[in-house]
Parts: sequence; C-alpha cells; structure tokens
Amino acid sequence: MGLAAGSSAYFILVASVFFLYWAAPTRLLRLGIILLANYFFCARYGLFYLALIPACSTADFMVGLGLMRFQNAHARRALVAISVALNLALLIGARHMGVLVNPKGWDWIFPLGLSFYTLQALTYTLDLYRRDAKGTGSLLAHLSAVAFFPTLQAGPITRVTDLIQQLAARRPLDRIEGGRALFLIGLGVLKKALVADYLAENLVNRVFDTPKLYSGAEVLVAVYAYSLQLYFDFSGYTDIARGSAQLLGIRLPVNFDRPYRSANLTEFWRRWHLSFSNWLRDYLFFALPGGRTKIMPYVNLVITMLLGGLWHGIAWTFAIWGLLHGTALAATRAWWAWHGRPKQPANPWMHALAVFGTYQFVCLTWIFFRSGSLASALDMIGRIASLSVSLENVTPLFATALLLAAATLFVPKAWYTFAMDRFAASPFYVHAAMLALVAAMLRYFGGSGNAPFVYSRF
Amino acid sequence: MRDFPFHTGLSIATLGVLIAIVNPPSGAQFRVLTNFTPELTPLSPMVRHVEPAAVTPLRIPTLTKNPEIAEPLLDDRARVLDAFYGALRRPGGVTRIVHYGDSPTTADLITGDIRQLLQARFGDAGHGFILPAKPWAWYQHTGVRVSGSGWQMVPASHFEVRDGLFGLGGVSFTGGTSASSKIVFEKAGYTRFEVWFLRQPESGVFTFTADGFELGRVDTTGETEVADFAAFTVPVAASTLELHVVQGHVRIFGITSENDGPGVVYDSLGLNGASITVLSRMFNQAHWAAELQHRHPDLVIVNYGTNEADFADFVDKQYEKELREAIRRLHAALPETSILIMSPMDRGHRTGPGEIATMATIPRIVAMQRRVARDTGCGFFDTFRAMGGEGTMARWYTAQPRLVSADFIHPYPAGGKLIATAFTREIISGLNRYQLSASEKPLH
Repeated sequence: MGLAAGSSAYFILVASVFFLYWAAPTRLLRLGIILLANYFFCARYGLFYLALIPACSTADFMVGLGLMRFQNAHARRALVAISVALNLALLIGARHMGVLVNPKGWDWIFPLGLSFYTLQALTYTLDLYRRDAKGTGSLLAHLSAVAFFPTLQAGPITRVTDLIQQLAARRPLDRIEGGRALFLIGLGVLKKALVADYLAENLVNRVFDTPKLYSGAEVLVAVYAYSLQLYFDFSGYTDIARGSAQLLGIRLPVNFDRPYRSANLTEFWRRWHLSFSNWLRDYLFFALPGGRTKIMPYVNLVITMLLGGLWHGIAWTFAIWGLLHGTALAATRAWWAWHGRPKQPANPWMHALAVFGTYQFVCLTWIFFRSGSLASALDMIGRIASLSVSLENVTPLFATALLLAAATLFVPKAWYTFAMDRFAASPFYVHAAMLALVAAMLRYFGGSGNAPFVYSRF
Repeated sequence: MRDFPFHTGLSIATLGVLIAIVNPPSGAQFRVLTNFTPELTPLSPMVRHVEPAAVTPLRIPTLTKNPEIAEPLLDDRARVLDAFYGALRRPGGVTRIVHYGDSPTTADLITGDIRQLLQARFGDAGHGFILPAKPWAWYQHTGVRVSGSGWQMVPASHFEVRDGLFGLGGVSFTGGTSASSKIVFEKAGYTRFEVWFLRQPESGVFTFTADGFELGRVDTTGETEVADFAAFTVPVAASTLELHVVQGHVRIFGITSENDGPGVVYDSLGLNGASITVLSRMFNQAHWAAELQHRHPDLVIVNYGTNEADFADFVDKQYEKELREAIRRLHAALPETSILIMSPMDRGHRTGPGEIATMATIPRIVAMQRRVARDTGCGFFDTFRAMGGEGTMARWYTAQPRLVSADFIHPYPAGGKLIATAFTREIISGLNRYQLSASEKPLH
C-alpha cells in the first residue's frame, strides 16, 4: 500500500511515533520504537523489505565493526569494497531486477526505491573507512539510524553517524522547535498537494506524455511548469521529512536554497538537492583519481555528474541529463580558471541575465530528466523548436497558479523566517487550527494528493 | 516523561480531534493502516495483457438482467459484416479495410496494432494509405517514417470549407517545385504503389521514385477537376518512396503501398481533433465517393465520438443526425461494402481531488452509435465496454505501468494494444461464426 510522506497514514505513523518516542523512559526503548517505525514504513511497500533491509543494514554494521577493529589497509579496503558492492548491487538490483531475472517478460521494480537508502548506508562505511567519524557498537542504534523512516523514501541523505549521535543524545523539543517542525510539515504538504500536484495534473503530465499534440508554446510552458512542479514536489517532501524528524528532536540537513535564483550552474548545485550534491562531492568526486592534475578534475566532474544521473535510473535520458550538467559544470570551472571568477556583486542586469540563462539551461536538462524516453525528450525539444504558438491548453487558472508559484521563489528569506517564527510561537490551538485549515484547503483546492513524490521512485 | 514536549503534543492531539470531527474516521481507514500488500505489481503490460486470463473483462456477458449489458461487444447479428468476412475468406485475395478516426488513429495507436494482428493471421498485403507529409506533429504510422516539406496542408477537420476535395485521407496537400515527400518503411517493402492526386487545369508535374529509381513523371494537368491515380509497380519490393514536384503546382492526397497479397491492407485515416461532422459535411460527396470507390474497401470503420464528448448539447441534439448522414453517404458511395461503427474509448475527466470519472456524454454517444448501427445496417464494436466500461480511464491511469496518458484520452501503446487485441479477437469470432453458418448453407 505504500506510505508516502504527506498521506494520512504517514501522519498517523508520525503522530504515533511522536507520543511513544517521547513517553519512552529509556534510550533502548526509544531506539526500539524508531526501529519499529522504520520497518513498519518499509513493510507497507512489501513484507520482503523486512528481510532485505535488516540483512543489508546488518551487513554494513558488521563491515563497520571490522573497520573499527582492523588497521591493516588491505583489510580495510576489502571491507569497504564489500559494503560498496553490496549497496551497489542493492541499488541496481532494486531498479533492474526484472531485466536480470527474466529479460523478456518481467519489468519488476521494487515499490520502495532504495536509492536514498543505499547512499545513506554507504555514508557509514565510507566515513569509517576514511576515519572521518566514529562508528557504533550497537546494532540497534545502527539499524534505527540507517533506515530512519523520514529519510528512507527520498532523503535528505544524512550521514548515518550523525543520525546515531542525534538519536543517542535526544535533544529536548521545546515549543518553538516543535512549532517549527509542524510549520515545515504544513508547508511541505501545501507545496506538494497545492502546487506540485496541481501543475502536474493540469498540464505537465499531459504534455510530457504526448508532446506532439501540443504547440511549441504549450510545451515550453509545460517545461517551465515542470521545473516548478519538481521543485515544489521535492522540496515539499524534504520539508515533511525534516519536520517529521524534528518532531523527534532530529535535525536533518537543508536540501534546497532557492535554486532557481542561481546565477551559474555551480551555484545551482549548491542550492539544489544539497544532500545529494554533497554526497557526490564528498564520496565520489573526491575519491576519483587525478584530483590534483590540470585536466582530470574536469573529467572527474563529468564522470561524477554522469554517475549522478545514472543513479536516478539506467536510461539514456538520465545519462544525458548528467552529462549536460557535468559538461556545463566543467565548462564553468574551466572558464573561471581562465578568466577568473566573476566579481560579487555583479551588475544587477548581468546578474539577472545570468540567472535567466542558468534557469533556461536547467529547464533544458529537465526535459531529459522528465521524459519517459530519449525519443520523447527529442519530441519535446522538436515541438519547442517548431515555434508554433497556441496556448489553448494553458487555462487562465493554470497560468495564474504558475505565476504565483514562480513568484514565491522571489519571496525574501526574512519573510519565510518571520512566518515560521510567528507560527512556532503561537499557542497549540493556533497550530492545530492552521494545520486543519491546510488540510481543508487541500481537500477543496489541491491536486489529487495521490500522486507519488517524484523522487520516491528513485 | 520529564522531557515530554507537551505543547507540541497538544497541537498534534488537537489537530487529530479537529480532523476527526470534520472527517470522522472509519473502520476501513484503520484497516488500510495494516494493509501490507504491495501497491505495485508492475509486470510488463505487453506480456501481462495478452495472456487470456488478463482479458476476462472483454468476454461477452451472457447471463444478466440488464439487456443493455447483454449486447455483444461486436454486434453483427444482422449479418451486416458478411461481405467483409467473405473477403477475408477469399483464397488469395486482398482484403482492404479503411479506418476513419480521430487523434488515436492519427498516431496509428490502435490501428497499427490491429493491422499487425490481422496481417499476422491473414497475410501482409501492404501498409495502405499514407499522407505525403505530417499535417500534425502527432501524425505517425507504425513502422513508417514520413517527412515532407513545401506543402500547404489543409485537413478536413479544420472546418475551413473550401471545395471539399480532401481525397481519401481527409487532407489536401498543395505544393510547388519546392515541395517533396519521403516515406520510408522501416521493416517492410512493397511492390505496388499509387499516388492519389487531383487532375486539374494548369496543374504541375511530379516525379515518383522508389529506392532511388524514378518510376514515373506524372503531369497532373486536366480539363476539369477530377480525382486521379498514378499507379506504379516494381519487380523488387521497395522501402523508400520519394515524390518531388518538378513543375507548376500539384495537389496530392496520399500514397498507397501494397503487395500482390494474399492478405490484409489496413488504411489508418486519422484526423486530429476530428468529429463525425467531417464525414457528414466536410467531404465533397462526389469526390469522396470516387475516392472510396477507387479504393474499393471490404470494410469501412467509422470511429469517432471522443472529441464530441466535450459538447453535451451537440451530443444530445445533433450527434445522431450527423452520424446517420455520414453512414448514408458511405452507403451511397459503397453500397456493397460492410460498414462498422466503432465506439470511442472511455474518456475521463477530473471530478475532484483524486477523482477521475467517465465523461457523462461517452455512454450516451455509445448508445446512440449502437442504435444507429442497428438502424442503418452497420456492424458495431463497443470499444468503451471492451476496455472495461465506466471508470476505465481512472483504472488505466492508475495502473502500473500506466495504460493511458494524463489527458485521459490517448492510450499508451500498451493500452492501444489491449483494445486492438479485443477488437481483433471479436473480428475473428465473427469470422468463425460466418464460416460456421456458411458451411451450413446448402451447396449449389
């Protein structure tokens, strides 16, 4: 049945865990409750996860014990290789098991994407291998952290050692922190159901399904709408995940920082899906050879982004998406190496032009990211290139929603902080009333709310 | 309990109470919480849905109290399709099927699969009629690459009333010396070709080549406007056709590609956004009749209704009249030919958050079509019910993998194949019934 963040079942789980977790008198019991919640979450997608995830997590834990014990470089390398191989096999197997088992008939995928789980799990063994963090001798602590349910479906990817420490410490949750957590959850739900689903259901899905039925202008509008849908969908999920964790006193990393206001692609990747780009940088880019040579860092950048693309799925569309980003990042870096970085603050008009250009490039790459096939992506581009102008399928209501969604990207950060703090400082009945209002709004104005989060399929 | 966050706990509890007051929880909601059945069981649809067990909804219901439900999916009880079945049985013969439809037909979505299934059984006698260029980006034929440039294209569905001369396929192409077309069959080759054009005063000349060899140079000038056809044959099957206007302006309607047979030729004649009024009003009757008679089909399929569903008033007041007129015109042009009305697919629309329902006009259109078919001596295929009837689009949209696009109109290839399989199965059943009854006739 699944347990998508934002569904009523998910919030019942979060509320139940909240009361049980804070009422539990001992650390052992608290970890047990988190573990139960983790596996309840997994089991909703299939009971076989109850065997798969504990087995893989335990294997990583054992590797971690070995890494803590052995000092011999060969032994450590062998141990970390086991962990990498295991998680890579899980990552690829979960997505492409069907092709391996029966290439003709089956296209079997795991209903719960394990891509985020594998990256999160790898942070543990890779950190221990590099001696960047201290491991744990408690299997319970490791199992509770590595499959921490708010992050399991779509991140944010959090270092397991960090989660272990936070779970061990149990920071008290004061009323302001609690209010902020509820604010994040409410905001995430609004982003997802009120904006992302609305945009998806009222134009984006249709156009990406059958681009040849729409004019070039409509396809272009759909691409821009998709860029906003993806942002609101994914950042909405992140808000819900961060809010859910924060209710348990756990801080998860920030994942988005108004990415479409980036003036270049390097800045974009410092604002978009931060936990993923940090993971790629820390565990992949830095691990590739030749980092101190003149040429290899550029090649490594392309390789890193190509692999980052393929992490979303082994398909030409994702490979091209990764290659486009990698090549553009390498080109930006090379340009800066040659001409020097642009001075800050730049001319406001030049800055606006740079933001506009970066956004257009990102939207171009989103076409490949979203399209079901390379042919479909080329159809999308072909329709835009046809320069046919007709906006019959863009209703005034949709256009208004799109513009409003875009306008929110330019809301000053101070307004956001002010709203959050005011909400957090409000009495409990105001929290409850506001969140009930959000639920009511979704009932009458939102999209289906049934669409899965875009990143939950990865 | 020392650290228990009472304030946040109160917020959550109050929220729960508020929601429970507005939307009281039911037992079913709690049962859902303990449902651990995986939501996704994504088998490849192309494999899953051709299995006999998977098409059980497509069986003809026989025991029911509702007489409407008891109607067969393919209604040819008045033996109105016998001429077509007879053609299929004709030894060594070529059976031609002409399928008029709207956007799914334009993309050869269901028709391409029907062609493939029928040709697998009866033989491939040719791809059939193809337009010389793409009037819409959406236009495509399975296994064929069509490209053209320099043409002024006027589809009948644009309702720009001119002379009504749209050829067999419903689109008129006019071009000067810059106009050319190229058609490539990706996996097949054919030996007989015909270029359908308009002979008219002060017209131009075009050349036609197959696999790089010029087969002819056709002067389309004539004393009056008349539909004409330039036929070409090649000794070895060709897969690349090219047409170039080399002098003046010519008006082209399409190109047919066939083999000697035996087998089936299936013309997929789709017009984007078309409705039944294209057949009832837009075609010049004399011209269209001449085109149809030249094509000499054994079966004409009339497959509209999806676009009409948007206009409830039109459906209730005008649709049936237009359909009857279209059938009258077809019968007048082809008195001996079997005609089949094929109902539209289900069409969905959003009725609320998370709710997709069948458009109310769709079942009304289907009922009218069944009635008109019965009254006018046509066969009838109920695509709507073959798919699963009311609510199918919601089910197909939420199926894993999806069977229909997000507009709740156009099937994905897997969905199109499902419909094609159901249709072909009914045709084969009809043929079997025909054969059985034919064998019972006394020998003369």
